[in-house]
Amino acid sequence: MEQRRQIEELVYRSCLALDDGDFKGFLELCDASFRYKVTVYSPEIRKEMVWLDHDRAGMETLFTNLPRHNSDHSPLTRHATVYTVKVAGQQAEVVSALQVFRTALDGGASELFTVARLLDTVKLDSGTPKLAQRVVRMQTRQLGFGSHIPL
Amino acid sequence: MVKSAAEWGAPPKFPVTHYVDSRIYTDQAIFGEEIDKLFRPTWIIACHESEIANAFDYRLFAHPTGVPLIIMRGEDMKVRSFYNICPHRGNTLLYDPAGNAKRITCIFHAWSFDTRGNCVEISRAEQGYQGRFCKEDAGLREVKAEVGFGGFVWVNLDDASCTVKEYIGPALDVLVPYMEEPMEVFHFNRAVVNTNYKLWHDTNSEFYHDFVHYFNRITGMMQPGYFDRKYTAFPNGHASVGSMSIQYDKYEGSRERAVGWPGLSPGGWYMVDLFPGMTYNLRTSVLRIDTALPLGPNKVAIEFRGLGLKRDAAEQRAQRVFDHNTIWGPFGRNLHEDLLAVHGQGRAMREGTDSRWVIHGREENSTIHDEIGMRHFYAEWSRRMDRPSYDPFREGRMEPARAAA
Repeated sequence: MEQRRQIEELVYRSCLALDDGDFKGFLELCDASFRYKVTVYSPEIRKEMVWLDHDRAGMETLFTNLPRHNSDHSPLTRHATVYTVKVAGQQAEVVSALQVFRTALDGGASELFTVARLLDTVKLDSGTPKLAQRVVRMQTRQLGFGSHIPL
Repeated sequence: MVKSAAEWGAPPKFPVTHYVDSRIYTDQAIFGEEIDKLFRPTWIIACHESEIANAFDYRLFAHPTGVPLIIMRGEDMKVRSFYNICPHRGNTLLYDPAGNAKRITCIFHAWSFDTRGNCVEISRAEQGYQGRFCKEDAGLREVKAEVGFGGFVWVNLDDASCTVKEYIGPALDVLVPYMEEPMEVFHFNRAVVNTNYKLWHDTNSEFYHDFVHYFNRITGMMQPGYFDRKYTAFPNGHASVGSMSIQYDKYEGSRERAVGWPGLSPGGWYMVDLFPGMTYNLRTSVLRIDTALPLGPNKVAIEFRGLGLKRDAAEQRAQRVFDHNTIWGPFGRNLHEDLLAVHGQGRAMREGTDSRWVIHGREENSTIHDEIGMRHFYAEWSRRMDRPSYDPFREGRMEPARAAA
């Protein structure tokens, strides 16, 4: 039970870090072998698509380059619920539901930005669980003017 | 110097060809006219042949006029297009955006149609119509469809239209050598943005806005050859942009594109803008196609497609997808910036904001920051609309120089 609690906290902390723009904090939750992907199925072209795919170094560069770009500054707020945790040896497969809301800076209206699942692989071989892989499996495909920030 | 209300409302000090009245982006009546005069009788990309690769494959397309279309490959492998409307009670025939159907059968009363649009079954026909109405009276409305220019499926609602080839003319000649091999769509994304469709096409028709893109400034604008890229204008409002060698490795975390494109020089990049809202964008390893589908004066759906070669090995395809996503994916560096920019235009130009003019006045010998691409577009727009884009309501506006004379 304690292990599950730690895993759930890892998922929730990762969302909080991204919500707060604490990208360093997010990467600290990730293993050196971390891989991040956004995938989605398109019923229009009947194909699996990859919309973002980076290793840890790639994520670090993405975050470092952010201030050099023109981005929408509306905060994204992630709401995750851990559904299942399957531990096998020194790793766990974790499935969570994710909704992301975007709040307009001017006026503060929040709208649903995306609906997705987080498919996380968590490494358990050190004292603290670490994210080894995160696949954001999106359901929403229409993102308006989009975002520079990973989900 | 700031402007008074009168100065703000006065036409810019440019020839009338070098600015437009902002109301062409916001006025509902003009928008309705655009749908009838520009989109209804024009060839528009509905999908790519790879999306309907097999016999009986179909794809739905929401035409900007509002007409719902089916694009279908028949058992004879010919691509045809029909209204997605049952001729019986006006119901939707096919619901899923894509699929495979040997027969198109309406779920409402089970009328059935073949891939040529012929009605092949009217349920309990004899009992209900007693010979007064039969299958031959109940065909689907067929719409002109052609496959070409890289395997794209073009549709046109005007039965009397010219051919796609006649419409495109020489505009895509610069890309034809790079589209000889069969291609395949690997990316599809539809963005709905509160802005006018022309503002998106404008963004694709000028590179001066590279100032919004850190990636393009570092890998392009600051590199040799950038300011040599030239615009070429073609009949029917189309325009192309010449190539240069993009220095991808100048962007931190990026590197020279390893996959490339057959025949294209390393780092090469050609763009062709097609009136009234389509863009071919071949950038080093990926062909991107934009199709702007207006939904209202201040609302547009833009369909983005990313294509590689059909013969790509898995690793090559993965690299193209990665290259595409870095700048052009929904989380890419450039697409978000472009969409944010036109969203900002829509926000500042919506009805009632007192936005008055949009200036297209840069002249730099047709090179990359010249705004000739947009001027050429609006000359064609004015001709087809029979409204000058600088004076769309014919309020007697003329060039300041002519007015003074």
